[in-house]
Amino acid sequence: MRLSDIEKYVPKHTSARIQGTAAVFEVSVSALREISDELYHEKKLSLMLITATDERKENGCFKVWYVFGAPEENICIVPYIQIKNTFEFPSLTSSILEARHYERKIQTFFGLTAVGHPDARPIVLHENWPADVFPLRKDFDWKTRPPEAHGVYEFQHVGGEGIYEIPVGPIHAGIIEPGHFRFSVAGEEIILLEPRLGFTHKGSEKLFERLPVDEKVWLSEKISGDSSFSHSLAFCQAAEELAGIVAPRRARYLRVIYAELERVANHLGDIGAIMLDTGFNFGGAHGARLREKSMQIHQRLTASRFLRRVNMIGGVMKDIDGKEKDRLSADLAILLKDFSEVIEIAEDSSSLLNRLKGTGVLSYEIAKDRGVVGVAAKALGIIHDARVEYPYAAYHELAMGEIASHKEGDVYARFRVRVQEVYQSIEIIKKALTQLPDGPLAVHTEGLSFAKNALAISIVEGWRGAIVYFLATDSSGNISRVAPRDPSFINWAVLGSAGFGNVVPDFPLINKSFNLSYSGSDL
Amino acid sequence: MSFIIWTIQLILVPVLSPLVIGVIRKSKARFQNRRGASILQPYNDVWKLMHKDEIISADASWIFRYAPYIMFAVTLVVGASIPLVASFLKNEYTSDILAIVYMLAIGTFFLALAGIDTGSSFGGFGSSREMTISALAEGGFIFSLLTLALISGSTNLFSISAFIAAPNLLSALPIMLAFLGFFIVLLAETSRFPFDNPATHLELTMIHEAMILEYSGKRLALMEWASANKLLIFISLAINLFFPWGIAQNLSLGAVTFGIVVFAVKVSLFCLVIATIESTIAKLRFFRLPDLLIVSFILNVVAIGLII
Repeated sequence: MRLSDIEKYVPKHTSARIQGTAAVFEVSVSALREISDELYHEKKLSLMLITATDERKENGCFKVWYVFGAPEENICIVPYIQIKNTFEFPSLTSSILEARHYERKIQTFFGLTAVGHPDARPIVLHENWPADVFPLRKDFDWKTRPPEAHGVYEFQHVGGEGIYEIPVGPIHAGIIEPGHFRFSVAGEEIILLEPRLGFTHKGSEKLFERLPVDEKVWLSEKISGDSSFSHSLAFCQAAEELAGIVAPRRARYLRVIYAELERVANHLGDIGAIMLDTGFNFGGAHGARLREKSMQIHQRLTASRFLRRVNMIGGVMKDIDGKEKDRLSADLAILLKDFSEVIEIAEDSSSLLNRLKGTGVLSYEIAKDRGVVGVAAKALGIIHDARVEYPYAAYHELAMGEIASHKEGDVYARFRVRVQEVYQSIEIIKKALTQLPDGPLAVHTEGLSFAKNALAISIVEGWRGAIVYFLATDSSGNISRVAPRDPSFINWAVLGSAGFGNVVPDFPLINKSFNLSYSGSDL
Repeated sequence: MSFIIWTIQLILVPVLSPLVIGVIRKSKARFQNRRGASILQPYNDVWKLMHKDEIISADASWIFRYAPYIMFAVTLVVGASIPLVASFLKNEYTSDILAIVYMLAIGTFFLALAGIDTGSSFGGFGSSREMTISALAEGGFIFSLLTLALISGSTNLFSISAFIAAPNLLSALPIMLAFLGFFIVLLAETSRFPFDNPATHLELTMIHEAMILEYSGKRLALMEWASANKLLIFISLAINLFFPWGIAQNLSLGAVTFGIVVFAVKVSLFCLVIATIESTIAKLRFFRLPDLLIVSFILNVVAIGLII
């Protein structure tokens, strides 16, 4: 990466330092809004993450980091501000709407007030958490048990005759994660839907600060269990960048294979579940069966149905040998054949298509403003895919073909995007298997040390969408801050918009077509 | 002999109805390449629930407490009042078309009340949806039976069955139209596809299941059993009013035995038809359900028009 490539993104008289795939530079608090507006609105960079670090002990300040992705140069532009002698920082939400929840999160967890933010309510932490205890500050001990605060959470209310509210959850009928949905309905029509999350908050970000490095990898696998591999991949890649090591070529190919296997398994499950929720039992049963088949392949390859304990900093731990290569190809061929047959039957069912088409339409403008990612974005023709835009592992050596996309933004479009991605992923796996180079699985990592006062950002296209990891080290080279961003954190914000105007009995179907992670959002 | 056949008539519906559910579930499982539970599983379920503790909301009124008994009693009476294996049994008291339709409506009425009674949001949804659907289904239900009544010149179900079983029949077309109308009503009234999904766990999409969501233990067992009874009642009406061939017409051992066998075969076939529908199509969107019920009504109006 040459400095001249990114010159246009860096304001004049500012010196940016290049750290791996990030160009970092400080901006003054007063200039922040102008610079971020320019990057976002004029240079059309996408906002990947806004997060903060507490460096009061070392540098006497908080820092707030604004991570923008520049796909053309495959680099992240990271302006940051220092917050000294105050607990306030300027809110960008009025001009960059998707900053909204990031800023709320900084406000809740660091106790920094986003000045000018339209929605000051805490996020993730519930009303029982005291308003003046900020868990991500360094002086907050992870073992602290704060007193119960008995606060009240204000839902948005809709007035008028015949409007009533239905509380749903946090405990649901299926074996799924907890989350509360507050519907305001007129008859069967949804007027307002407010998801209320935070029930699976586990303090992961705090835990990341104190766990030893190996266990940090394991923790990243648990951020969102169904994306175990993608999350640990994102973490490991960022850590490798900080350590200045590169995973061997064979490991990078294997990472592609495992990541695509994870995508296939989850998409198969989702495709089946979408059909099941319409009552199309045939599709539901086969979706579950095919997902189980892929999970069993995972189990055989890695001894973990969720591909856990596969990634490590410096490479992978589980190999695919020659015999297994043939077996995997054969299994994939069968899977592909079965899948094509199921989809053919499904696409032939007018009653199924009738339920899927036109249901849960997400408006393009809302999706754009809220920075929607992943399947939901692709289903609207907002085409972003980290595998193409920020190629990692071995994706740049494997022609991926066109990114799956649709225009309509309804349940059917999200269904189709998944179907296309299954076909595409199987193709990628086949290609990676034939090109799989020889070599070691991992580099030696004894006496691993990380760059001091550095940061690394890793973007991985999980099956839900882009997973972003922000890692920062302190002056002694310890990873002092890990900020994971699961795509669910972004997409939960638009679920209400997709539900608006639909009938209540269609909501489970709409929700399933997004299939967002509660755990990944609550951290 | 007469005693035996009356005993059969009285207990057949409650005794066989869980089996009907079991057969449908088993067939659906086979359609999905699953092995499925035993066809006797619904009996085990009822038995299990009968021995479980019960939780009743403190806000529940007598309606919630008694609705299962009313539901169950209604299905017992109706089950004994319709032609099952023999059409020669004359019951002049409760076998009238209107008596049957509105006895079943009493059951639905109390079920819907019980759904709202505890004040849970899902129950309210279920009741409101159930009322929408049963109000629209009522027209089709009455008119389909009325078609048969006009053809046979009687409103007694046993007479209708005996008349239509007679081979000198020329009015096949109106009967078939009325059957199609009745079949749609059957699916609506018994909460099957494409109206309701009896296998779903998604409260927001439920109709029948939402109304009984608050029940547990014995009352839940009765509710489940009553709805199984209702399903068998509707299936029996369908096969014995529209396709009564083979039903026992006199009190001879041969005729009754044959009647029982034919009944079993026809019910099984009907279960297969329902299972096939539930395995091959998706549920309809809620707001399209009235269209389907209107179709049922129109089919019956056409059938009546053909007769008059």
